[in-house]
Amino acid sequence: MTNSIGEIRDADFLFVIGSNTSEAHPIIAMEMKRAVKRGATLVVADPRAIWMSTIAEKHLHINPGTDVWLLNAMAHVIIEENLIDEEFIKNSTENFEDVKEAVKNYTPEEAEKMTGISAEDIRWTARKYATTKKAGIYYTLGITEHTHGIDNVYALSNLVLMTGHLGKPSAGMNPLRGQNNVQGANDAGATPVFYPGYQKVDDKEVQKKYEKSWGTSLSPNLGLNLNEMMKTAGNKIKAFFVMGEDIVLSEPNVLKLEEGLNQMEFIVIQEPFINETTRFADVVFPSGVFAEKDGTFTNSERRVQRVRKAVEPPGNALADWEILVRLANACGANWDYKNPAEIYSEFVKDTPKFSGISHERLDTEIGTGGKTGLQWPCENPSETGTKYLHENGISRGKGLFQAVSFEPSPELPCEEYGLLLSTGRTLYHYNAATQTRREEGLALKQSEAFIEIHPKDAKKRGIAHKEMVEVRTRRGSIEARALYSRQVRPHCIWMPLHFAEARANVLTNDVGDKITGTASYKICAAEVFKLDTKDHSHDIFPGAFFFEESPELEKELS
Amino acid sequence: MKLKVNGQFVNFSEGETILEVASKVGAEIPTLCHDARLNPVGACRSCLVEVEGSRRLVPSCYQKAEDGMEITTENDRIERHRKTLFALYLTDQPETREQAEPHKTNEIFEFAERYEAPQNWGKMENIREDREDRNPYVNFEPETCISCARCVRYCDEIEGVSAITLADRGSKTTISTVDSLSLLDTTCEMCGGCIDVCPTGAMGEKIPLTKNAKHERELEKVRSTCNFCGVGCQLELNVDKEANDGKGQVVKVTSPPVGETTNDGNLCVKGRFAYEFINHEDRLTEPLVRGEDGQFYPTTWENALEVAAKGLLGVAERHGADSLGFVSSSRCTMEENYLVQKLSRAVFKTNNVHQCAAT
Ligand code: SF4
Ligand code: SF4
Ligand code: FES
Repeated sequence: MTNSIGEIRDADFLFVIGSNTSEAHPIIAMEMKRAVKRGATLVVADPRAIWMSTIAEKHLHINPGTDVWLLNAMAHVIIEENLIDEEFIKNSTENFEDVKEAVKNYTPEEAEKMTGISAEDIRWTARKYATTKKAGIYYTLGITEHTHGIDNVYALSNLVLMTGHLGKPSAGMNPLRGQNNVQGANDAGATPVFYPGYQKVDDKEVQKKYEKSWGTSLSPNLGLNLNEMMKTAGNKIKAFFVMGEDIVLSEPNVLKLEEGLNQMEFIVIQEPFINETTRFADVVFPSGVFAEKDGTFTNSERRVQRVRKAVEPPGNALADWEILVRLANACGANWDYKNPAEIYSEFVKDTPKFSGISHERLDTEIGTGGKTGLQWPCENPSETGTKYLHENGISRGKGLFQAVSFEPSPELPCEEYGLLLSTGRTLYHYNAATQTRREEGLALKQSEAFIEIHPKDAKKRGIAHKEMVEVRTRRGSIEARALYSRQVRPHCIWMPLHFAEARANVLTNDVGDKITGTASYKICAAEVFKLDTKDHSHDIFPGAFFFEESPELEKELS
Repeated sequence: MKLKVNGQFVNFSEGETILEVASKVGAEIPTLCHDARLNPVGACRSCLVEVEGSRRLVPSCYQKAEDGMEITTENDRIERHRKTLFALYLTDQPETREQAEPHKTNEIFEFAERYEAPQNWGKMENIREDREDRNPYVNFEPETCISCARCVRYCDEIEGVSAITLADRGSKTTISTVDSLSLLDTTCEMCGGCIDVCPTGAMGEKIPLTKNAKHERELEKVRSTCNFCGVGCQLELNVDKEANDGKGQVVKVTSPPVGETTNDGNLCVKGRFAYEFINHEDRLTEPLVRGEDGQFYPTTWENALEVAAKGLLGVAERHGADSLGFVSSSRCTMEENYLVQKLSRAVFKTNNVHQCAAT
């Protein structure tokens, strides 16, 4: 995020796209609700009606996968009506002309045909966004989990740059990070292309620096990203070390991945629980959960916060960092970290952006660190961190406009698979749900896998509300309960990815984004078939925002 | 703008309440219906103070500060008011403090003690209606409810779902839901905010109650960060240090005070209630190594580490370093991610390291 969570309540315009905020980031949603109560305008662009759309000024009910059309058309309007921030474009950006050229043909009228959003709504949103000073964009996986995810992000940042909505409080571009520590894991360099602190793996100077620091030679080759590792599991990749991820539940097209895993020579897994992936392991290390260890998590707003050990791990389980030290030493290294604070100070030695942060500061400076954490960049111990980015100009020098054009998603509905399947999360479970599904209370709220289907599509297939169905794609099939829902558009279905007995990722497509490798969880073609089970009595409550049968709906459908 | 609190000048800006201004100079004013996140309603009368020139005592949580005001927060008149008020509140509470606060502090008793309110004014019969609710997390105790409506207002103003409401009238007033449904069957999102704001514990956590956890006072609070989503809410893990043969047990999770952290005193259902996995019987407690027969066998750390090291090094030797893949985790700490990438790069000489991080 370029802004801080605390700035959201003061925003005047919020553009939420591809984020089911109230379920995936409930506390950020609270801040948004607060802004709306204060009089801010909220616009939600999402293929599903979600809770946030109930308090939105407008819900742009977009056809899945057509985001570039919407965003480029907004850019078109902003340029056409001269609502751009010329000063900002001149002083702080490059390449505006490219984008100007590229969006010429993206008229709102054409966009209407593709996105299903009226030209008028597109114009209104574009104007409102461009002319409101404190205007922020908020997005998550609905933008990135596509083959053209990176294009979506560029299209958004073009809007931000041309309106100069950056480097100010409550105005900026805010990806809401999914997991608790996505930010921290990336900062730490757990990526194939960066050393810690986003220093390039293929930069000779950086390599030399780390060779010196770590006292060993290092590989100059870029590594494989997760998507590539998974696709080459069993042939190019022969051994895996996996810490804290249930890849067989969370990765797309898992039946193919499982075949690959069976071909692997060796797999080590480090986990607090037996999960779907441990079936393939040769060795399993029992690890501690967050309450059993010290360390830091970094949240969406770049805030480094302490995780503190409250209880001992059960039996002989150990904190992940302790296991890692032992494993490295068993493999011939000579590591001797006594605690995570030492690891942190080694990390900051070679990463200037973080060098003002230490466990000690986080523990002792009440007010700036002890209770609230510190937001990086924070280059020296006398600084209090950075609330919003780009205050004094954009960090890479100038903001680069990137022209993008629409590319259709690789797998769209056809005759055989007539529906478009998207997957996502719900409020009551968390990802692979190894933790949340063990909570009795959460299980009461949501006990089993379901799909949301528009009543029209369901009736066409003879499927009743709450009936069991088979969901099939080119890659596999699963069973789940069908819930009539007007949250989804006709011809679209949606399902959560949390349930091991009905793994949505048996169905999903593993083509990745051309640059980031992020898989296309949000779009693939599927078909739904009635199953011959008699059991549709089961009482299930799919969440806070749900479908009710009503006389109006009956009328609408007949 | 400037005003005087107990003879001391304080600067303030437009829109601040007397309570807010007075707290800047550390004046202690008891409050029950007030919460910094909510619109003030001035319903409970516990925060009354004296304003020079005004005949009646005024509710400081509600009344806006004005330039030149002279405010007194402690004197005989205010003290008499407090004694009377809390003595009255006590008549509508259970007999003993133990009964009134099985697990959480009840502020009526707290204030009654602090202001030495008489405890012998008798007890009213409790006629508020109880309601069965099979929801797993939120417990409602009509006996201690004082109808301050903090829970109702929180649910409406902050969580925005209006799942609960004030029902009935007069001394029968109680907290209920539409058609007295279980919270599970309403718009409730189980955020537990109603529990957090309740001054008496009438809204309370069900899990520690049903599991007979120790009183809040005997638990140790450990400040940590939620391990679910990327908001990074700050939590207080409430730990019973003696439980679990001295390994300790998290028996409840609460939020840090309002205004102190990013989450501003709020949590969602996962942060507040999903902690029982920590102590779950399915937790792995021993390293496992697969035997010749394909089954897992528990083993020692020495052995498991040796097998793992041999296996990984063997593959590296046979097929080269780039035939290894390291999958790290965005659920784990920054420090652990740092170690995984260092393991992959410095020990095994490959950059094949990544985690599931799409945004
Ligand atoms: S738990 Fe949250 S949503 Fe449910 S009644 Fe309480 S405040 Fe409202
Ligand atoms: S309490 Fe809820 S909103 Fe806050 S970090 Fe945890 S999961 Fe996210
Ligand atoms: S706290 Fe002011 S009237 Fe209740």
